[in-house]
Amino acid sequence: MYAFLTGPMLWLSFAIFVIGCAWRVVKYVKGLSWQLDRVPYGYYRELAWKGALKSIFHWITPYGSRSWRFKPLYAAAFFLLHIGLVIVPLFLFAHVMLVSERFGISWPTLPAGLADALTILALAAGAFILLRRFALPEVRIITTPHDLWIMAISLAPLLTGFVAAHQAGEGNGWLLAHIVTGEIWLVAIPFTKLSHVVLFFCSRAQIGVDFGVKRGGQRGRGIVW
Amino acid sequence: MPEGIYCNKTPITTEEALKALLSDTRGTKYYAEMEQLEVDREKLWATIQKTFKSRMQTWLDVCARCGLCADSCFLYLVNDRNPEQVPSYKIHSTLGEIIKRKGDVDGAFMRHAMEVAWSRCTCCNRCAQFCPHGIDIGVMMGYTRGLLYSQGFVPWELKIGAGMHRVYRAQMDVTTEDWVETCEWMAEEQQDDWPGLEIPVDKEDADIMYTCNAREPKHYPEDLAEAAILFHIAGENWTVPSEGWEQTSLSMFAGDWEACKLQVQTVYAAIERLRPKRVVGTECGHAHRATVVEGPYWAGRPDGQPPAPYIHYVQWVAEALREGKLKIDPAKRIKQPVTYQDSCNYIRNWGLAETAREILSYIVEPGYLVEMTPNKEYNYCCGGGGGFNGIGKFRPMRNKALLTKRDQILATGAKLVIAPCHNCWDAIRDLEEEYHIHIDWSFLKPLLLKMVIVPEHLLPKDEDSEE
Ligand code: SF4
Ligand code: SF4
Ligand code: SF4
Repeated sequence: MYAFLTGPMLWLSFAIFVIGCAWRVVKYVKGLSWQLDRVPYGYYRELAWKGALKSIFHWITPYGSRSWRFKPLYAAAFFLLHIGLVIVPLFLFAHVMLVSERFGISWPTLPAGLADALTILALAAGAFILLRRFALPEVRIITTPHDLWIMAISLAPLLTGFVAAHQAGEGNGWLLAHIVTGEIWLVAIPFTKLSHVVLFFCSRAQIGVDFGVKRGGQRGRGIVW
Repeated sequence: MPEGIYCNKTPITTEEALKALLSDTRGTKYYAEMEQLEVDREKLWATIQKTFKSRMQTWLDVCARCGLCADSCFLYLVNDRNPEQVPSYKIHSTLGEIIKRKGDVDGAFMRHAMEVAWSRCTCCNRCAQFCPHGIDIGVMMGYTRGLLYSQGFVPWELKIGAGMHRVYRAQMDVTTEDWVETCEWMAEEQQDDWPGLEIPVDKEDADIMYTCNAREPKHYPEDLAEAAILFHIAGENWTVPSEGWEQTSLSMFAGDWEACKLQVQTVYAAIERLRPKRVVGTECGHAHRATVVEGPYWAGRPDGQPPAPYIHYVQWVAEALREGKLKIDPAKRIKQPVTYQDSCNYIRNWGLAETAREILSYIVEPGYLVEMTPNKEYNYCCGGGGGFNGIGKFRPMRNKALLTKRDQILATGAKLVIAPCHNCWDAIRDLEEEYHIHIDWSFLKPLLLKMVIVPEHLLPKDEDSEE
């Protein structure tokens, strides 16, 4: 069982994740239409790149956009959740060890204490975001079951991983659960709202180009989007 | 009844049809018929398949439902934070639903969607600045309006407005003859005070071709005269086209993309015919958006540019002041608290916030400009944008929407609001009529005329001294 989950199943999950994401990006780019979108994608390359990168940069920087500064608490939760979901797994000692054992490549890892702290913070951030969904009428009205599922799918690998790492003694139930939930998460990415893993960069780049080239980017100080 | 006599899916293309629709006072019969209007579901879905592409599909798919857009929308704030006014909700409950159901929606749904599209969103694009994914609800609402229009679910006034553009190539029934006559009349009228002043029609290869808002020749021709005088003082070599002079687009508000294209092509044809070095548009925000920001795409110009450089009036004024073509008498600068209404369409959607401030630095005595909060690219819509001002059926909602601007203005303590946008100007006039806060509002032209230094040689010769 363990061998299957960490062998073929893991490969399959990664393959679905990578190919699925690539397919979403290709579909996105192919479906752009300069005339319908009213953006001159093919012109003013320099401005376009500048607009796209500026837009992405300001939104992946904590408090880099006016909106993040406007909602400090939510921004904190947002960044903590994403750090826990993206940065921690990539630099987790246990993960890096696995890769290095199999492929002989490795990279720096996070100190265990920090990884733990970030995981707990990410879980707390997830819980906060969930509670906020129900507490605020303006978020409740747009919440769908899909959003709850997505949160569950995303938090499950964190929670199971955390428990597995701290479980004293034998019994690899939690570890198995961690692997399974991690794989579910990977597979879900291309097919659900989690596709924003790649589509965030697409849509931010797109609006960056829109504003950088067409709506004001050529004049004045340019608008930070 | 699938289609009514007044309310149907056919655009207005003839003068008779236009008059017939106009005769239906306040659209009473029109809206009554709309109750029975049926949706052509197949056509709706076919249109969506052709036009609903990855940008909007992705916007709907990845919306994190985080609600960060809520506070960005003035309509949400001014309507007591009604969750139904959350931008994300507004689009998911209309366009999102149509897509989810593959166009299988009924008349009642479409009537509701019409109310949302025209009375709960002014397409001001402010929410796009606050969404982590860069989702622009205003753009999607514009698209939704197009779908609704194609099915006949459009407010009466905007069906007429789009029809006006189709029939007269102007938002009002101003014909070429009316327009040219108005130009001649205005030039003549100014002769005593401004000897040699002209409004040259169809002059080829001029430095500037000027275009305006049909309401100027129709309802306040002095605006045209003021533009002429200012060009005259600045010594510009300018012209207006006999055809293609109307820059606005109610069809854009209506979502009638075909009429938008017809309208903007008329202007571009004038540019190509007269070959001006550049074009200056009047003080109108949506006209600028229609003809300069979006128009090139309707007309199929892949570089997104009109045939000649095309600037908004504030760009011309700022340049004229900067280069000394217009000089302001320092003694006549504005010396009372004054504030500036940023028009979404040329500030947020064309980047002219600082250009507008440059003008203010010339015409307002330092210390008297009180900015609204928020302002510049983050301004709130005047409350009447996107066609909202003109729709009788939604007047109560529009009046409520004006409260945002009213309170912003009150907070500045200013008694004068400079509003170089027709639509904003109207909204501010209406808010004064509705709420009596005792303010004045003005375009730039009359203000400039009051304080500009007129060069000696342009002054009328004193007849006595000539003897
Ligand atoms: S801010 Fe953007 S992602 Fe969040 S709910 Fe609004 S539209 Fe959706
Ligand atoms: S475009 Fe403007 S009016 Fe429409 S939802 Fe966004 S902020 Fe509100
Ligand atoms: S009328 Fe003026 S403020 Fe209102 S939406 Fe249009 S441009 Fe913006």
